[in-house]
Amino acid sequence: MIDFAKNKWVDYVIFGLSLFLIFCLIFDSYIVLPRLVAWVGRWHPLVLHFPIVLLSICVFLGLANKKIPNLLFTVTVLLTLITAISGFFLGKESGVKGDLLQWHQWLGGALALSAAFWFWLDGITINNQIILKVIQVVIIGFVLFTGHYGGMVTHGEDFLALPIEKRQEKIPENPLIYKDVVSRILDDKCVSCHNPNKKKGELLLTSLDGIMAGGEVGNTVIPGNVDESEFIKRLHLSLEDEEHMPPEGKKQLNSNEIQILERWIALGASDTLRFEQLPKSESLAGLITGLMQPDRAEKWKKLPEIADSTLQNISSDYLTIRRIASNVNALSVDVFKPPTYDASLVTNLKRVAENIVELDLSSLPLSMEEMEFVATCKNLERLEIDKTPVGDAEILVLNTLSSLNFLKVFETNITDKSLESLSSLPSLKSLYIGRSAFTKGAINNLKIENPAIYISDGIDQEVETFFIAKDSVPKI
Amino acid sequence: MKKDKNKSEDPLKVNRRHFFSQLSVGVGSLALGSLLIPDLFKGSTDNILSQPLGIPHYAPKAKRVIYLFQAGAPSQFETFDYKPVLRERMGEDLPDSIRNGQRLTGMTSGQDKFPLMPPKVGFKQHGESQTWISDFFPHIAKIADEITVVRSMHTEAINHDPAITFFQTGSQISGRPSMGSWMSYGLGSENKNLPSFVVLTSRGKGNSQGLYSKLWSSGFLDSKHQGVLLRSGKDPVLYLNDPDGLSRSDKRHLLDHVSSLNKLHHVDTGDDEIESRIAQYEMAYRMQMSVPDVMDISKEPQSIIDLYGEDCQVPGTYAANALQARRLAENGVRFIQLYHQGWDQHGNLHNEMKGQAKDVDQASAALILDLKQRGMLDDTLVVWGGEFGRSNYAQGKFDPENYGRDHHPRAFSIWMAGGGIKPGLNYGQTDDFGYNVVENPVHINDFHATLMHTMGVNHEQLIYKYQGRRFRLTDVAGNVIKDLLA
Repeated sequence: MIDFAKNKWVDYVIFGLSLFLIFCLIFDSYIVLPRLVAWVGRWHPLVLHFPIVLLSICVFLGLANKKIPNLLFTVTVLLTLITAISGFFLGKESGVKGDLLQWHQWLGGALALSAAFWFWLDGITINNQIILKVIQVVIIGFVLFTGHYGGMVTHGEDFLALPIEKRQEKIPENPLIYKDVVSRILDDKCVSCHNPNKKKGELLLTSLDGIMAGGEVGNTVIPGNVDESEFIKRLHLSLEDEEHMPPEGKKQLNSNEIQILERWIALGASDTLRFEQLPKSESLAGLITGLMQPDRAEKWKKLPEIADSTLQNISSDYLTIRRIASNVNALSVDVFKPPTYDASLVTNLKRVAENIVELDLSSLPLSMEEMEFVATCKNLERLEIDKTPVGDAEILVLNTLSSLNFLKVFETNITDKSLESLSSLPSLKSLYIGRSAFTKGAINNLKIENPAIYISDGIDQEVETFFIAKDSVPKI
Repeated sequence: MKKDKNKSEDPLKVNRRHFFSQLSVGVGSLALGSLLIPDLFKGSTDNILSQPLGIPHYAPKAKRVIYLFQAGAPSQFETFDYKPVLRERMGEDLPDSIRNGQRLTGMTSGQDKFPLMPPKVGFKQHGESQTWISDFFPHIAKIADEITVVRSMHTEAINHDPAITFFQTGSQISGRPSMGSWMSYGLGSENKNLPSFVVLTSRGKGNSQGLYSKLWSSGFLDSKHQGVLLRSGKDPVLYLNDPDGLSRSDKRHLLDHVSSLNKLHHVDTGDDEIESRIAQYEMAYRMQMSVPDVMDISKEPQSIIDLYGEDCQVPGTYAANALQARRLAENGVRFIQLYHQGWDQHGNLHNEMKGQAKDVDQASAALILDLKQRGMLDDTLVVWGGEFGRSNYAQGKFDPENYGRDHHPRAFSIWMAGGGIKPGLNYGQTDDFGYNVVENPVHINDFHATLMHTMGVNHEQLIYKYQGRRFRLTDVAGNVIKDLLA
C-alpha cells in the first residue's frame, strides 16, 4: 500500500477483502452465516467465470511483457477475491466438507491471495521480472487446479474422466438380468479396479466377454456352477483374507447383491435372460423385485414442506408428532388416550394430513369422524387402529389409501365383511387382524387369495399349545 | 443442545478452551467489525452436532428397544454355543495355545489345572436356521427362526461391575450415561406421559451380583433422561396416588407455584438441572394418570397370561416384567431395560442355570411371539444376554455332576430379535473350545453402534460435550455390524 498515486480506496478494499478471506479460512469452523450472507454464496457459480477469463488475460499480457491496463487489473483482482469469498459462503452450506471441497476451498483461497499479492507487488512497482513471471505462472496453475476441483465438486468426481456409456438410474420394466442388474452391481462395487485402465489380476469386469475370459487365476465364472466359480468364492472369504474381494476398505457387496450374482451364474450367466423369463419360484425374481421398488425416501421428497413451528403447534401432551428422519417432511404421529378424549385431537391434524405417513391411533375410542379424516391422509403408509371400536363401515372409508402397506386392526369390531375391502388395498403388505369377530374360514380364504400379504391373526396354534403346557423345563 | 452445559452450570466455570475459542472469534470480529454484519460470526462450539435432537438421523427400523439383561453372565456353553470338543476332551487341561495368556480372576487364577468341562445339559438344533440351543430353553427353541444368535461377542472386562457398566454405558468406569439415556437424549420421548427410559428388575434363585442405579443413570446428560426404575412390588411407583384431601386441581396449583419459584431460581443461577427438575415434577404429575393404566394387567386375556406363563401375574417376576415391557412398549416407552439377576454360576451350575432358565425361557419367547402378533416385532429390538461369558474349564474341583465356571471375557453369546435385525441368523463363531472368537467378532462398542443404527441414529453423530471433551456412547470406537441388519 505504498503507492498512493493509484486510487487508495481500491487498495483498502483489496486489503480488507484479503484479510477477510484469511479470517474466513482460519476461523472456518466457528463461523455461522446469517441467511442473507449465505444467499450471497449462491452467486459463486456465476461470478467465478470472470476471474478465470480475466486472470488468464492478465497473465497472458504479463508473460508477453505487455502493459496490463490498470482498470482491467484492478477489476480482475477484486473479482477474484469476491469469487473466493462467495465460494467460501457457498461451501458453508454443505455442512461437512468433503476432500474435493477442501482442496477447492484452499486452492481458491491461495489463488485469490496470490492475485492480491501480485496486485500489491504491482502497486509498489517492483520491476524484478522474474518474481512477477513466477507469480503469474503460479496463478495460472492455481486457476487450473481450482477450476478442476470446482468442476468435480459440482459435476461429480468422474465428470472429467473419459466418457463411458451412462447407465440408467432406474431399473426398467422387465430388465435384462445382465445389463440392468448384474452389471450395475459390478459397476458399483468392482469395476473401479477391474476396468481397461486398471486391470487388477488381469480381470476385466466391464463386459460379459471380460467376465467370461476371466482373470489370471482362472475359473473366474463357470456358468451353472456357483461353487466352483472363483469370482463367487472370493466374495465369501472372510474380510481379513488376502484373497477376499472387494479388498478390505473398499465398498463391500451386500448379501442381496451376492445372492443376485450367484443366482445369475447358477442360471447360466447369460446376457439375454430377462426378468419375466424367470419362474416365480426363482429367488432371483424376488431379489430383483426388491431392487425395483421405489425408495420410500424418494417418495417423501415430493411431500409438501412443513415448518418445525407447525409441528410444535400441533403437538400436545397426548399427541406426539415428529419427522421420520431429519430433513424429511414425512411425519409420524402417535396419539395417546387423554383422560377426556375428543375427536378433535385427531381431526386437528388436518393441516398436515398429506405429510402423515405413519399414524398410531390404537386404544382410542375412534368413531367415523376420525376415520374420515384418516381417509384424507393419502400418503399414509402405516396405520394402527387396533384396540379401537372401529367396525366394517369405518374400514370401508380406508379404500382411498393407495400407499397403505401396514395395517393393524386387531381387537376391533370388524367382521368378515371388512376382509374384502382390506384385501383390495393396493399396497397392503402386512395385516394384523387377530381377536376380532371373524370366522376362521374367512381369514383362511383371505390368506389363500392374497399370498403376497402377510396376514397375522394370532400365534401359530401349535406353538401356542406348547406355551400353554405347564412346566417349561424338561426333567433332565 | 441449545445451551453450553459448562457455561450454564456456573458462569464462573468458563474453561480455558471455551475462553480461547470465544476470544479468537471476538478479536477477529473486532478487527473486521466494519466489514461485517453484526451477527455474522456467532461463536458455535457445537457445530459438530449439526443434527437436531429428537429426530432420528435416518428413517429407523426400530422405534424402541426391550433389553432383557441377564445379569451375572449366563454361560454360553449351557445356552447357545455348542462345543462337542469339550466332551471329547473332558478333564484335559485347557491348552496354553488356546488360553494365550488370558488373565483370570482371583477365583481361578490359583488353580494349577484348568480341566475342560462339557455342559451337562443337552443341545439340539432348532428351526430352519438350525440354531443350536440347549435343552434349558425349550420355548426359545420354538422361536429359533425369529432370533439371531451372536456367538462372537467379546469384552475387555472380567468382573461383573465393570463389565455390566461397560455394557450399559460404553465405559468400564462408571459415570457415563446409560444406553437408554443416550437414546432418550437423541430421540426424545414418544409419549410425554411416560418416561422414555424405564427399568424393571427381577431376581432368580441363582448366585447373583448387585445392580446399582448407576447402570441406568443419565451421567452427564440432563437428568430427565435417566432410567426410571419401576418397583417390583404392588406399587410400581411409590406415593402415586394423591393423599386424602388433596384434589387434582390443588395438586396442579401446587406444582404451578413450585415451578414459578424454581424458574426464579433458574434465572438466578442458570443451572439447567432446575429446568430438569421442573420437567420431572410435570412428568410425575402426568404419570399419576398414565402409570396405573399401563401397569394394570387385569385386562389381559387368559391367552396372554398362558403365553407368558402363570408367573406373569406375580409382580416382580421376570415373566411379569416381560409382559409389562410389552405394555410399556405399546405405550411409547423408547427404552425398556429388564434385568434378571442370578446368572453367576461359579458352582452348582447345572441346577442353578436350570432354575434361571425356567424363570426367563417362556416369558422371553412369549414376548417375541406377542410382539410379533401385534405387528410390533418389526419396530421393536429385543436383546437377550449377559455381560460376559464363562470359562470352558471347571472352577474348583473337577466334578462333571456338580461344576462351576469362572468369568470369561473373550467370547460369549447373546441373541437379538426384531427391529431391523435379520431373523434366523447364526452370527460369529468361536474356536472348538469356545474360548476365542474365530469369525466375525462383535465388540461391545460394535454392538452399541449397531443398536443405535437400528434406531436410526448414527453413533458417530450423537455427541455430548462435557468438561471440554466430546463423548459418544461408543466413544472413539465401534462399527455397525451390517451383516446383522435386515
